[in-house]
Amino acid sequence: MNFVRFAVRRAAEMAATLLVASFVVFGAMYLAPGSPASFLLSGRSASPEALAAINAQYHLDEPFLVRYLTWLGDMVQGDFGRSITYRTDVSRLLADRLPTTLLLIAMALVVVVVIGLVLGWVSAVRGGATDSAVLVTTTFAVGTPSFVAAVLLQALFAVKLGWFPSGGAGEGFLDKLWHLTLPSIALALYLIGMLARVTRSAMLEALDSEHVTVARSRGVPERQVIRRHVFRNSLGTVLTTGGLIVSTLLVCTILVETAFSIGGIGQLLELSTTTKDFPTVQAISLIIVALFMIVNLIVDLVLPLVDPRITLGSKGSSA
Amino acid sequence: MTTVVPRTSRRTSVPRGRPAGRRRAAAAALLTAAALVAACAGPPKGGESTGDFTLSKTTPAAKGEIDSFTWAVYAEPPTLDYTVAFDYPQNTILSNVCESLMRWTPGLTLEPGLAEKASNPDPKTWVYDLRRGVRFHDGRTMTADDVVFSLGRQTDPDNAAAWAQNFQNVASVRKTGPLQVTVKLKKPDSQFPQYMATAAGVVASKAGVEAAGKDYGTSGGLACTGPFELGTWNKGQSVELDRFDGYWGKKAKSGKAVFRFITDPSARTNALLSGEADGGYLIPTESYARLKGSGVGKLYFGEGLSTVNVNITNMKGPLGDIRVRRALSMALDRSGFVKAGLGGAGTVTNSLTTRAAWAAGSEQTRKNALEALPKVTPDIEKAKALIKEAGATGKTLTVATSSIGQDVSLLATAVQAAGAQIGLDIRLKTIAPNAFTALFTDPEAREGIDMFPLTYYDSITDPLDLLTNFKTGAYMNFAGYSDKKYDEGIDRAVSVYDPDKRLAIEADLQKHAAEQLLWIPVAEWPTAVFLNKRITGAPTTISYMYYPWAADVGSAP
Repeated sequence: MNFVRFAVRRAAEMAATLLVASFVVFGAMYLAPGSPASFLLSGRSASPEALAAINAQYHLDEPFLVRYLTWLGDMVQGDFGRSITYRTDVSRLLADRLPTTLLLIAMALVVVVVIGLVLGWVSAVRGGATDSAVLVTTTFAVGTPSFVAAVLLQALFAVKLGWFPSGGAGEGFLDKLWHLTLPSIALALYLIGMLARVTRSAMLEALDSEHVTVARSRGVPERQVIRRHVFRNSLGTVLTTGGLIVSTLLVCTILVETAFSIGGIGQLLELSTTTKDFPTVQAISLIIVALFMIVNLIVDLVLPLVDPRITLGSKGSSA
Repeated sequence: MTTVVPRTSRRTSVPRGRPAGRRRAAAAALLTAAALVAACAGPPKGGESTGDFTLSKTTPAAKGEIDSFTWAVYAEPPTLDYTVAFDYPQNTILSNVCESLMRWTPGLTLEPGLAEKASNPDPKTWVYDLRRGVRFHDGRTMTADDVVFSLGRQTDPDNAAAWAQNFQNVASVRKTGPLQVTVKLKKPDSQFPQYMATAAGVVASKAGVEAAGKDYGTSGGLACTGPFELGTWNKGQSVELDRFDGYWGKKAKSGKAVFRFITDPSARTNALLSGEADGGYLIPTESYARLKGSGVGKLYFGEGLSTVNVNITNMKGPLGDIRVRRALSMALDRSGFVKAGLGGAGTVTNSLTTRAAWAAGSEQTRKNALEALPKVTPDIEKAKALIKEAGATGKTLTVATSSIGQDVSLLATAVQAAGAQIGLDIRLKTIAPNAFTALFTDPEAREGIDMFPLTYYDSITDPLDLLTNFKTGAYMNFAGYSDKKYDEGIDRAVSVYDPDKRLAIEADLQKHAAEQLLWIPVAEWPTAVFLNKRITGAPTTISYMYYPWAADVGSAP
């Protein structure tokens, strides 16, 4: 399959997915009880004129399809609309908060990849007691929801030891790193366990394969065997979990951000869902879906490079 | 006014963690992978009670100045535009930046604010004479034009002001002198002058607001007159207030007041314990014990205007029979609820309003108001008999519950337990926190629900704020209660300016509402404030909503 055809197909798929996702989210919000207008008024009674004014201002009185299409039209022109709750442009809301979330996810991702791969590698190669220790640790990691991890980390490192702040995102780059350390660990914990296990089983499978036996019998040094044959062969399997890892990070960040009061877009999504702030929820949902798809695309592009057995577009990522 | 679910609107005083279910709801639309669910399960729930508590009139006065202090609030205000400031976080912050014509004091009384005199030449006229030489944060000087403009924004339908309803009896607001504004009323309104001490009466600079345009309240300054001006607003994180040196009144003791938005209740408590935040109002009840025993600072309780009640929303079912409502009230274990649900810091009550709400009345009026109410000593046998008599034994009722706070979840459980003891089958209907807010705003959300726990507070020191809810067609009158005599009583109370005479009418109204058990009163809930050892001076009462309290905060002796 040539690259141009692949690119066109993927672009079309992405656009369709985004369209469906936006429609589903919009519909779900539309069907949920409560009206944004009533949240705006903080649950106070309002004069019919005031309500009518709000409804007109935000097109809340128009039929579902008209509203959806209006929103879609603005969106295509790059206008995210105005947040109903925050009374400010959604693009500005996001610009204020997105960097924090991306930094948090990036930090968590680094932690997951480094620690997850090392644990899986060591576990597969060393075996024995090391393997058992890693299995026990990863069982614990996989069984700890990020919320619980957040609470435990806060209690130990923020309150008891006072090494890290208990919440907030900090100001300035280094301060931000310091503030986001605990949240990124909380976010990463489950995924470290998952990635370590995937890496371990993929490497064990590769270790059992024929060409490893052949390589060893030819006297290739063990370290080279592990690096060149075993690890490289497992990398494809490991990479295909990339999509799952990133989607988990994106979803769990909602929880971790709330637990640590980080004030990124995860927390904003949660609040906006509560107040039925249509434009904000739509924008964030689409960003999350888009990020998810971009990661899958990257995985699909990289896979053929690390694993010659896979060709471009021959199989979608497994996430 | 009511306290709504935290973060969105105000219905429960103490917000706290919510279940993953609701966080997932946001995500479920996008992804439904079991792995994700396993990866972020919800918070465990737990609580502890603390036992006895005492009310403090105030916290010790500050000894000297400090550079800055940090305050924990449970949510970020979406905007600081005073016309929509109607929730704890925004009012707690805004009260230090924007001032009103009148001022609410830490003792919950009324005194002159930006108006040095409020006069009432006839029942339908209020004349406000303004203070001379009051500077706005944008450097301009306050005139009558600014007042007319500021109040006008509250009634502009395009603005969707949260305070619009408090202007329903206002016919006109006019400038009658360079420093004089005259408000003409359609009919005498004893509540309006009181609301002029809340955010409804804020005065901002006309030029400043107009210059900010649609960004007013979300970026740039607020062009108000308070002891602090709006500083850096780090969106999603914190907002800083800087001392305003041109303030007309007593200068703030702190150079800066930093408000950090910490949504998660346990994270908020942790921030107080670790010193990242120096203090906070609205302490989660389950943290009372931890903070008290921490040695980090002191937890004070003060007079509030909040009561916890069971709101009857459906009179068409078994609860339409007053004997059933009475039996339920009789069987309810209020003291058990106070211990568990309010961390022991609260008092069992048979009154829908707090004692403090009657402060404007004479000793005798207050006594009449509170002592005439039906007693609430638990009496299971009598309650059982009432249920039998009403033919309601074995009937099913539904109470809504939610994990937004123990004042809600534990009260719902207490109602269920009371029902079980007297032969009612009471079911809990668990509602996600966001849908719980919708109970107040959306009749559809109340389908199939007979009652729900409700924490309500008054925005002014007047019980009428609450009693109005039982008027025919009132916004919070979910049960659709209608009694012509009661409605007339409300109208009469609104029209009487003399506090003692008015409160006497209100006492009758409250008695009527209590006998009818339109809401079942459960407990008085005092305000809580935590201050660490570094700072002192913050008021203990709910006055912090509209009084520039942060200016009083300084170094501890």
